[in-house]
Amino acid sequence: MRDDPSVVALVTRAAGDDHDAWNELIDRYAPLVWAICTRYELGNHDAEDVAQNVWLLLVEKLGKLREPAALPGWLATTTRRECLRVATATRKSQQLGSTVDDAAPFADEGAIDEEILIAERSAALRAAFAGLPPHGQHLLAMLFRDPPCSYAEISARLGIPIGSIGPQRARCLERLRQSEALTGFDENEFTISTPGGGHGA
Amino acid sequence: MLESWDDDQLLAALGEAVRARQAVPDAFIEMGKGAYAWHHIDAELALLTYDSSRAQDRDATASMRSETASIRALTFTSTRLSLELEVTGDSLLGQIIPPRTGTLDTQTRAGVTVSTAVDEIGCFAVTPIPAGPFRLRCRTVDGADVLTGWISL
Repeated sequence: MRDDPSVVALVTRAAGDDHDAWNELIDRYAPLVWAICTRYELGNHDAEDVAQNVWLLLVEKLGKLREPAALPGWLATTTRRECLRVATATRKSQQLGSTVDDAAPFADEGAIDEEILIAERSAALRAAFAGLPPHGQHLLAMLFRDPPCSYAEISARLGIPIGSIGPQRARCLERLRQSEALTGFDENEFTISTPGGGHGA
Repeated sequence: MLESWDDDQLLAALGEAVRARQAVPDAFIEMGKGAYAWHHIDAELALLTYDSSRAQDRDATASMRSETASIRALTFTSTRLSLELEVTGDSLLGQIIPPRTGTLDTQTRAGVTVSTAVDEIGCFAVTPIPAGPFRLRCRTVDGADVLTGWISL
């Protein structure tokens, strides 16, 4: 697991009396909790019940986490347990038997580890992206949109020549790569799941 | 890092990351941020373990107790005790399980606290029910101190 000093710092600050640090933890990791709820196919109301319990447990746990860097793993485990509880109640009510096959949402333990890893990587990428100048953020946002904007549209909207889009794209991505937020991942972790087909390093 | 990724892969991962954040409803995020209100509180947390308003819970029990199907029932559970709650008219009726006397505080988001006595069989009534979200803090005669998550009725 990645040993992210910024997670440790945020947990330490939040364990003190720093609401901003807590908010940042939520911004970073709510997508992980949400993604796991989605795997269990919970509706919004059930997902909110799960999340409220998860966050309350985290508040209680803040000063006691022995390894703050392991927070994402703890969140994933706690969220799964809460999802399982809610999903079991659903199955009972539909008289489908009282147990939920917990293996179903995650093919194996490797799948949950991958979910955690992607969540951490995504949080780091978002932080790095937020650190780019506005112009760079606009350009990249148009390029990673699904489907992406055409170069003609980007040229018109940003007022830059079509010929300069390619070089600017490369410079923005290089700047993203060099971002402090992305330090600490080793290459092996990034070979687990490469977007666009899993053909990593 | 990321030297092994080409620009297309990095851009795809970035798009995935931003979309994953956008997929999370705002209310989900706000609730998480609001949970910090429980920080620095000495009480033990009681977590929601049953809510009749969940469609599936209601469906499951409708056949058994159709006469009370419209009553909202909630259960909060902590290691030392459970709080069983039922909405009846303009009152919130509750019982501490296992039963014992104590004091029940109703706290609103605005910070207003109203205290209610808990009788010897653990029963209490909160009247009227707060209009907005509230939480209950229960202190029993034997020293348990338990706080629920936010409740909206």
